[in-house]
Amino acid sequence: MTWRRFFQRGREGADLLQEMDAYLAEEIAENIERGMSPDEARRQALIKLGSANKVRESLWQQNTISLIDTVWRDLKVAVRSLSRARMLWVTVTLTLALGIGANAAIFSIVRGVLLRPLANRDEDRLLYVRQSAQGIGLENATFSVPEIKDIGTSLKTIKELGTFSQIDFTMEGLGEPREITAGVVDGNYFDVMGLRPAIGRLLNPSDDGRNAAGAAVLTNRFWRTSLHSDPSVIGKIVRLGSDRTTRSAVIVGVLEPSVPYPVETELIANIVTSPHHLSATMVTGREHRMTEVFARLADGADLDSARAELRTVYAAMLVAHPETYKAQSYFRIDVTRMHDQIDARAKTILWVLFAASLLLFVIACSNVANLILARAVRRETEMAVRAALGASRAVLRRSLLAEGLVLCGTGALAGVIIAAPMVSVLTRYASRFSVRALDLKLDFTMVWIGAALALIAAIFLAFVPRLPSLDSTRGFGLASGGIRVTSGSSGRLRIFAVTQITASFLLLAGAGALINTLFVLEKARPPFDTSHVLAINLPVMYFGKTPEQVRDFYRDVKDRIATLPGVQHVSSGFSVPWRDGRELNLSFSFAADGARRENGQDDLRADFRTVSPSFFETLGVPILTGRDFRDSDKDGSERVVIISQSLAEKLYPGRDAVNHHLYWTDGVMKFIGISTEPRRIVAVVPDIDDENIIPAPVMTIYQPSDQEGWSGRLFVRTQNDPYAVVPAITHTIHEMASNQPVERASTLEDIRAEVLTPNRLNAIVFGGFATLALLISVVGVAGVLAFSVSGRTREFGIRMALGAQRRAILQNVLYEGLVIAGIGVTAGIVVGFACARVIAKLTTELQMPGLLPLAASAAVILAAAAIASALPAARAANVSAVQALRSE
Amino acid sequence: MVSRNESDSEMLKGTLDMMILRTLLIGDAHGHTIAKVIERTSEGVLEVEQGSLYPALHRLEDRGWVSSHWGASENNRRAKFYRLTSPGRKQLVHETNRWKLMARAIGLVMGEKAMVKGVA
Repeated sequence: MTWRRFFQRGREGADLLQEMDAYLAEEIAENIERGMSPDEARRQALIKLGSANKVRESLWQQNTISLIDTVWRDLKVAVRSLSRARMLWVTVTLTLALGIGANAAIFSIVRGVLLRPLANRDEDRLLYVRQSAQGIGLENATFSVPEIKDIGTSLKTIKELGTFSQIDFTMEGLGEPREITAGVVDGNYFDVMGLRPAIGRLLNPSDDGRNAAGAAVLTNRFWRTSLHSDPSVIGKIVRLGSDRTTRSAVIVGVLEPSVPYPVETELIANIVTSPHHLSATMVTGREHRMTEVFARLADGADLDSARAELRTVYAAMLVAHPETYKAQSYFRIDVTRMHDQIDARAKTILWVLFAASLLLFVIACSNVANLILARAVRRETEMAVRAALGASRAVLRRSLLAEGLVLCGTGALAGVIIAAPMVSVLTRYASRFSVRALDLKLDFTMVWIGAALALIAAIFLAFVPRLPSLDSTRGFGLASGGIRVTSGSSGRLRIFAVTQITASFLLLAGAGALINTLFVLEKARPPFDTSHVLAINLPVMYFGKTPEQVRDFYRDVKDRIATLPGVQHVSSGFSVPWRDGRELNLSFSFAADGARRENGQDDLRADFRTVSPSFFETLGVPILTGRDFRDSDKDGSERVVIISQSLAEKLYPGRDAVNHHLYWTDGVMKFIGISTEPRRIVAVVPDIDDENIIPAPVMTIYQPSDQEGWSGRLFVRTQNDPYAVVPAITHTIHEMASNQPVERASTLEDIRAEVLTPNRLNAIVFGGFATLALLISVVGVAGVLAFSVSGRTREFGIRMALGAQRRAILQNVLYEGLVIAGIGVTAGIVVGFACARVIAKLTTELQMPGLLPLAASAAVILAAAAIASALPAARAANVSAVQALRSE
Repeated sequence: MVSRNESDSEMLKGTLDMMILRTLLIGDAHGHTIAKVIERTSEGVLEVEQGSLYPALHRLEDRGWVSSHWGASENNRRAKFYRLTSPGRKQLVHETNRWKLMARAIGLVMGEKAMVKGVA
């Protein structure tokens, strides 16, 4: 017997018939030869051959794989019996589809983002090195070149270090001139990262040094999306502008697709392209930290040994430079696997999401289990009859399993179908936490997950209903009695309903906490008007210009834009609130004359901003005392600053800060062209927190843009719709300089809203999960109660006949629903706290939901339960006593 | 496989496949021919029933010892012909050797005289 024969039994049967006909004909022919009459010959032949069907049957049996045959028959029967209960089938399919679909979608994302290996060769040997100094608020910091030299030479556990620093170039030569984010790397970087070129070559040690030619590698995404994978880009020359000079670089290659970390860039260039990287600031500035360090483990070394060695080397460096590394700053070094570092942000959120989808699966399964259980109770008669006719428990269980398989199979199919769009939505969501989500593709994982979950659910469902006892007398008793809910089944129904409520409550509480966080953030008002202020990137183009020309250009731009209709104020700065993270992070230490200072205290640190005159007017912030910057505050004239209120109060409590002097003391100053001469405080302004969503007191020192300051960002305050003015602004600027990039025009309000997007998305995704869960549970609770009511019709009839009020019966059923919900919520709180305990041990970044979301979720669940019980309760109350009793 | 004498059937089970293969050694044949040849060669002692013949043929075909094709019978009827394949030929040699060994062994145990007596 073969598989082929098994599946072709039908066709072979026809062949066999023909074959046997031939046999019969031969036999008849032979009999006639022996001298029989044709009729007699035929009769004798038939007698001799016997039953043709018997032959076919024996052959059929020989060609049968008995297990498959029975399973196939069971499945057919299951489909037939389910198609008589279509509503049930549809409900179960939808419920399971949600549970399975959500899990399949989220697991493919977890797999794609967290579990899939990186493209880098031997990615598990690729390390990421970071330092921190909690004492001076330096967290997860980069390194300076002298530090890398101290640490990186003669390491035994590490084969090679690769360095990367982020830089913004203005780029001309590839499309429109514009400002791009780029990386500057040393010649070992790509080798350490273990990346290969897609075309051309990558940078290598021959590109290092001051005398090398400028060379740049394009990142794959930029090459694909902006340049449409044009291979002729190799050999093109681009002009890269930074630090008031312009260098040119040849495009030597395109990188293979890889995860951009720590920042997505358009190109990666060698050190010679950035004058800043060759400057004394970079080479000798021990505190000028802007370089990322990657490392590749040496053969035979592991993460722990590398960490130990790095700590030793680092400690030696701290001792050698006590003036930089003060003990109270707590300088520390740490090293992680690159893979873990990339996943760090996405990890928690994705695992939490995964947990949420598992809860949803539990809810879906419980709900389906309830429906199946209720159906099984109605079918107890059928089961009893089958058992009485000789069906063994195994056979009954098998037929239940077949039904489960059919139900879960359709559920899984629908689940996988809805999982595909879910993945694309969730991918966009996940890409906010991990760049890896951008490269995510749909794969078959999802289908396997769906199938596996369906199988689990099917087996679970097969073992949910109680089988009738094989004692046939009892079985027939049931058969004649019609529907009678056995206490065991109804107990199980309640347990599943409670499970659903518990899981829904957990999800709802989680979502509630996220929504609460979002609400608090949304409620926070920015410290200044944001809706009518435009921020525009106007990168400085140094090519062929003197610093004076650049300054005059910005002044002319502001003057011309100020005359546009609808524009109220124009000013410039070098960092857009909430958007330019790197610039906003700048803070330097300083000292102030006549300021209060506790003994032995270090110099204070303040955020550093440079702004043009009327910046505060543009934001709508009043100057508290003193005067605004003026055009005459420029290089060569008296050095002036404006400070924030909190800083003024800290330095000169109860006194007027204006006309006091302060001066920078930070070691970095001498490298960035800002003098440490005293500067006169000319004004105090309210705190302008441009980093946090919830405004906090800030210590800020503002310098005039034209006085050792920087530009590059334009702020415009308009009367009406700010976006309506953007075309006129762009046009005006392009009239003055056609190759001047004018980018990312957006109101401060929208920029701030963008910061909230991840929070908003968290709330939406979890809220969506919780809503789905709640919906399923409401259906579940309503189903359980409806079933219990229909089983108790007789009881209600008797009670009414004895004079019970409809109200009492209504209350009775409602109460039952609320008890289920109450137990569920209590169990949810217990389980939730237990889980929180366990999770708290694994990760520190867990927020417990506050009392408000917990109480709100409990209220929602109880209200939902009341609604769910209302319908069955009404039905119970409408039982007619006479009818209920007559039906007995 | 059934002989005229029911009691013989047990012993002869498993030998039907061998005899079909032996019959096909002469040349391709359809079911009826195979049955007749076995019947005549055994001087009418062994009569092959269709109920055993066809399952046996299918079995042999599945194992790759015979192949089948449709053709015209002596009386010009469409019939399925079976042909011995080369693995079938090897199997036949193997079965024949085994059978001879068995027959001799059984003969030795029973003793020639006892056999003659028994038959008589």
